Amino acid sequence: MNLSVEIGGLRLKNPVLTASGTFGYGEEYAEFVDLSALGAIVTKGLSLTPRKGNPPPRIVETPAGMLNAIGLQNIGVERFIEEKLPFLKQFDVPVIANFFGDSIDEFVGAAERLSRAAGIAGLEMNISCPNKQAGWLVFGTDPRVTFEVVSAVRKVTDLPLIVKLSPNVTDIALMARAAEDAGADAVSLINTVTGMAIDIKTRRPKLANITGGLSGPAIRPIGVRMVWEVFRAVGVPVIGSGGIMNGEDAIEYMLAGASAVAVGTANFVTPTATTDIIAGIRDYMTANGIRDISSIKGGLLWQREDL
Amino acid sequence: MSRFFQAEVTGNILLSQTHNILRITPLKPHPSPSPGQFYLLRVSETMDPLLRRPLSILRWDESSLEFLIRLKGRGTLLLRNMPPGGCIDLLGPLGNGYPSAGDGETPILVAGGVGIASVYPLIGRLGTDSILFYGAASSGDLCLLDDIRAVTSNLYLSTDDGSMGSRGNAVERLAAFLDETSVPKPVVYACGPEGMTSALLRMLRERGIPGYVSLEERMACGVGACLGCVVETSGGYRRVCKEGPVFKARELGF
Repeated sequence: MNLSVEIGGLRLKNPVLTASGTFGYGEEYAEFVDLSALGAIVTKGLSLTPRKGNPPPRIVETPAGMLNAIGLQNIGVERFIEEKLPFLKQFDVPVIANFFGDSIDEFVGAAERLSRAAGIAGLEMNISCPNKQAGWLVFGTDPRVTFEVVSAVRKVTDLPLIVKLSPNVTDIALMARAAEDAGADAVSLINTVTGMAIDIKTRRPKLANITGGLSGPAIRPIGVRMVWEVFRAVGVPVIGSGGIMNGEDAIEYMLAGASAVAVGTANFVTPTATTDIIAGIRDYMTANGIRDISSIKGGLLWQREDL
Repeated sequence: MSRFFQAEVTGNILLSQTHNILRITPLKPHPSPSPGQFYLLRVSETMDPLLRRPLSILRWDESSLEFLIRLKGRGTLLLRNMPPGGCIDLLGPLGNGYPSAGDGETPILVAGGVGIASVYPLIGRLGTDSILFYGAASSGDLCLLDDIRAVTSNLYLSTDDGSMGSRGNAVERLAAFLDETSVPKPVVYACGPEGMTSALLRMLRERGIPGYVSLEERMACGVGACLGCVVETSGGYRRVCKEGPVFKARELGF
C-alpha cells in the first residue's frame, strides 16, 4: 500500500499534514502523536517580528464549528528557528514553515530568513488570514496583488512554495491561477471562512475582533467544492483543508482533486486526529482495493451533462 | 500513561435543578491531577457541539474522577444527562494548579458559584485548617456543604439574595473578616465568576495581600496550541490552559 505523495518536489510519506495554527509549533502535540508518522508538520504562522495577536475573547463555538480571531500571534521567525525548530528536527518529518507579512517586503524578509535555516523543508505563504485589516486582505483577494507578492517571494526562495488561499473570494480558481503563474509549487485551501456571532442578550459581538474565521465540519462542503474548482484550473498540486475530521473526509477531498490534506480544527477535538485520519485512509484503501493513494486524486465520477 | 483516555461514566448525581456531579472511571491507568487542574471532556460523539468542555477536577481517587457541573448551555446539559454505563473521553489533567502556601502563611479559600469545584480539592489538602469563603446567587447554588463541614468548621457562606449565610458576596464577607480578625500572612486562593474575580483582585491590591486566582476563558485545544484562551497579564497574553488556569493575583490587572 503506497500512501506517499509528492507536493511541489516534496516527497511526503503520507498525505496528512497539520493545518497552520492548529498544531502550535508541533511540540504541543508530541505527547499524543508520533510526529514522525505525519506527512508533514505545518507550523503556526510566522512573521519577521513577533506578534501579540488579538484581545480575548478569541474563539467561540458555532454549529458544528468554531470562529477564531487569534490575530496571528506568534514568536517571530528568529525565535522559531532558535527555540522551536531544534525540537522538530529530531523527528523524521518534513517541517513546512507557514509565514506571513504585513507588506511585500515583510513577506520577502520572512521567506528569506526561513530559507536560510537548516531543517525547513518547505514554505507555506499565508495570504488569506480573515482576521486582518482591509488593506491586508488584498494579498489574498486581488489576483494582481497575489501575483505580485508570490512572485516577490518566489525570487528569494528555492524551497517548495505553497500558497494558502482564502475562500472569501468570488472565484478561487482565479486566485489559484495567479499563485501558480507567480511560481507557486502548490496551493492549499481553504483557509477559514469569514463569519460573525452575536450575544443577543448583551448585543455584543462574541469575539473581541467582531468577525472571525469559521472552521470545522460546518465548512467542509465549501472546501470540497473549492478544491474541485481549483483542481480543474491549475496544474500544481492542491492541499485540501476545511473540516476534515476523519479518514472519510480526507478521501472526499482527494476525490475532489486534493493531492494531500491538512487537518486543523479536528486536532482540538481529538489530539490524535492526524494519526487517526492516516489510519482511516488506510482502512478505506484496504476496503476498496486501492494500492496507491494518488490514484484516487480527482477521482470524482461525473459527466459533462452533470454540469 | 496518556493524558488522553477513555472512561466509563460510573455515577451521575443530580444535586439540584442546576448542578450535578459526574463520576467517571478511566479504563486505563491515568496520570493523577493536583488541585486547580482541569480536564477537557467530550460531551457528544457527534460533531455538534464540536468542542470539548473544560471542567475543574473536584475529587479523585485511584479509580475515579469527579466533576461538578453547573447547567449553562448545550454542553453542560449533555453532561447532566449522561447516563451511567456510557463511555466518555477526556484530556487531562491540564494546566498548572494551585501552588502550596509558604511557611507561616495562612491560606484563605474563596469560591464563587461553581468556582467551588476548582477550590474544593484545597480543602482536602489543608484539612481542618481550611478557611473557606463561599458565595453564590442563592442557597440552592451552594453545593457540597455537608462534605465541606465534615472537614472544616471555618466556613463563611454568603448569598446575593440572603437566603443562606450573609447577604452579599464572598469578597465582601472576606473583607469584613479581615477587618475583624488578625490573620498572619494571609494568602488567597480563589475561583469564581468574572465579577467576583475583579472585586477580589481590587481588594487584594488595596490591602497588599498576595493570592492565586483561577481563571476561565473559552477554550479549544487545552494543550497550548490554538492560542484561543489567552488572558491579559502583566507579562502579556498568557494561555489559561497552559500558563494557567491559576495566575498570581498581582499579574492580573482588571
